[in-house]
Amino acid sequence: MTAAAAFAAALDKAQRTASPIRRLAPDATIGLGTAYAAQHALIARRLARGEHVVGVKLGFTSRAKAQQMGVSDVIIGTLTDAMRIDDGGTFDPRTAIHPRIEPEVAYLLGTDLDEVDADARGSASAIAAVAPALEIIDSRYRDFRFSLDDVVADNTSAAAFAIGQWADPAHAGDLGNRGVRLEIDGRPVQTGSTAAVLGHPHRAITAARRLAAAHGFALSAGMVLLAGAATAAVPVPARGCIEAVVTGLGRVSVRVDRNERISDA
Amino acid sequence: MSAAALADERLRLASETGTPCAPVRDLIGEVDLDEAYAVQSLGIDRRIAGGSRIVGRKIGLTSASVQAQFEVYTPDYGVLLDDMVAADREPLELSRFLQPRVEAEVAFVLGRDLDSPATHVADVLRATEFVLPAIEVVDSRIAGWDIRITDTIADNASSGAIVLGTVPRSLDGLDLAATGMSLDHDGEVVSTGSGAACLGSPVIAVAWLARALARHGRPLRAGEVVLSGALGPMVAVTGPGVYRARLDGLGEVHADFIDSRPEGALA
Repeated sequence: MTAAAAFAAALDKAQRTASPIRRLAPDATIGLGTAYAAQHALIARRLARGEHVVGVKLGFTSRAKAQQMGVSDVIIGTLTDAMRIDDGGTFDPRTAIHPRIEPEVAYLLGTDLDEVDADARGSASAIAAVAPALEIIDSRYRDFRFSLDDVVADNTSAAAFAIGQWADPAHAGDLGNRGVRLEIDGRPVQTGSTAAVLGHPHRAITAARRLAAAHGFALSAGMVLLAGAATAAVPVPARGCIEAVVTGLGRVSVRVDRNERISDA
Repeated sequence: MSAAALADERLRLASETGTPCAPVRDLIGEVDLDEAYAVQSLGIDRRIAGGSRIVGRKIGLTSASVQAQFEVYTPDYGVLLDDMVAADREPLELSRFLQPRVEAEVAFVLGRDLDSPATHVADVLRATEFVLPAIEVVDSRIAGWDIRITDTIADNASSGAIVLGTVPRSLDGLDLAATGMSLDHDGEVVSTGSGAACLGSPVIAVAWLARALARHGRPLRAGEVVLSGALGPMVAVTGPGVYRARLDGLGEVHADFIDSRPEGALA
């Protein structure tokens, strides 16, 4: 078993059992190449169980986030259909170790961005729709402590996401500096601006293309791109309603509760 | 000499020599806010005697995170004097400041007095002639910004200068709580936030200030400027350069820090 495959197996088990593990390479960096190879191997295990890739996400796109985690580079992770929660749907906190949630902007890709000629068309034509989003992150590492390589291998802490109503980007206006509010049970817990995402969330498209090309990710029409957090992440409460509001774009919510009604049904 | 006079003297020396001083909490304690405001008034009265004029007020400690840091769950306020006000892009000499930091805010310009201790948000909305995007240059006379609540109040709420945008906007239809804020420097975003970070909305902060000042017998007057509080984290000014604040729906304003003003330039 290669190092990447071994890391993937350990992280996969940690996610499925909601049990934290130690950092993979606490004493020496494993290298970004091995880290992305581990992430691809981790996703391959999930796809083998029947999941499908539905998009990508960026991490560490904001200063607040980078400072919170002590890293600086933008990273890319994979979203699968199993991570998706409907707008207004339920997240069961027992499926995660120490989940945190953050408000984001989501883009729906309208063209294959990994095509060579996508450059000429520019990023504007690449966006079919835009929406407010919530992302739940859950590091599989104990105490959310990790290096950049560790978190890349751990699929950038991706756990779950919900997307609000898609809007036509032509009518959404400039999304570069929209107020963003994260509420738990109706009370604001974080406020910020979409400018926290790389200075303008639109820049996530260029960043995603660069990272996808460098690290072997597909960026196809119909995929979701989670651009990055607009505020610091907050711990997911044991139960409650979490809502993100992006000024002029709308809102999206997730209910946190034990999913017993579903299993009882 | 009273404790308040000693504290005022310490702050005056720091300001005049450009050398930060020790905190004043050893003199006035950390609990008595009225004593701290008394020190603030001594400093302001001296500057007024020297020719400065009051043009408005500033509100501080409006964010939940800063209040938690100070363990004080109320805002504070300071006085804006005419020599503290600059317009968009007007050069600011770094030598004016000791330890400058910048934050983006909404400035309210009042068209009517707000003199009731029962002032509420609707009164503020009615009394506001227009709002402007603003950058507040905060500064502390106290070394290393080692401040507690009484230190900053005594030091005129750590005020330095304000830079006002020049395009007025009406509050009509403007949701200040939902307004995004982005502050950048050298092409890098250094602070982001929104109106909701300021006590839920800058309008709420101004209503609080109006009530507090009315209770103290120094009400807000028509024509005064109110700096309503930071919309995001403050950022240290590291050297010459331009800090640009963009407030969604209000426009932008630039604080341009320079080493020194050229000979013969507009003062």
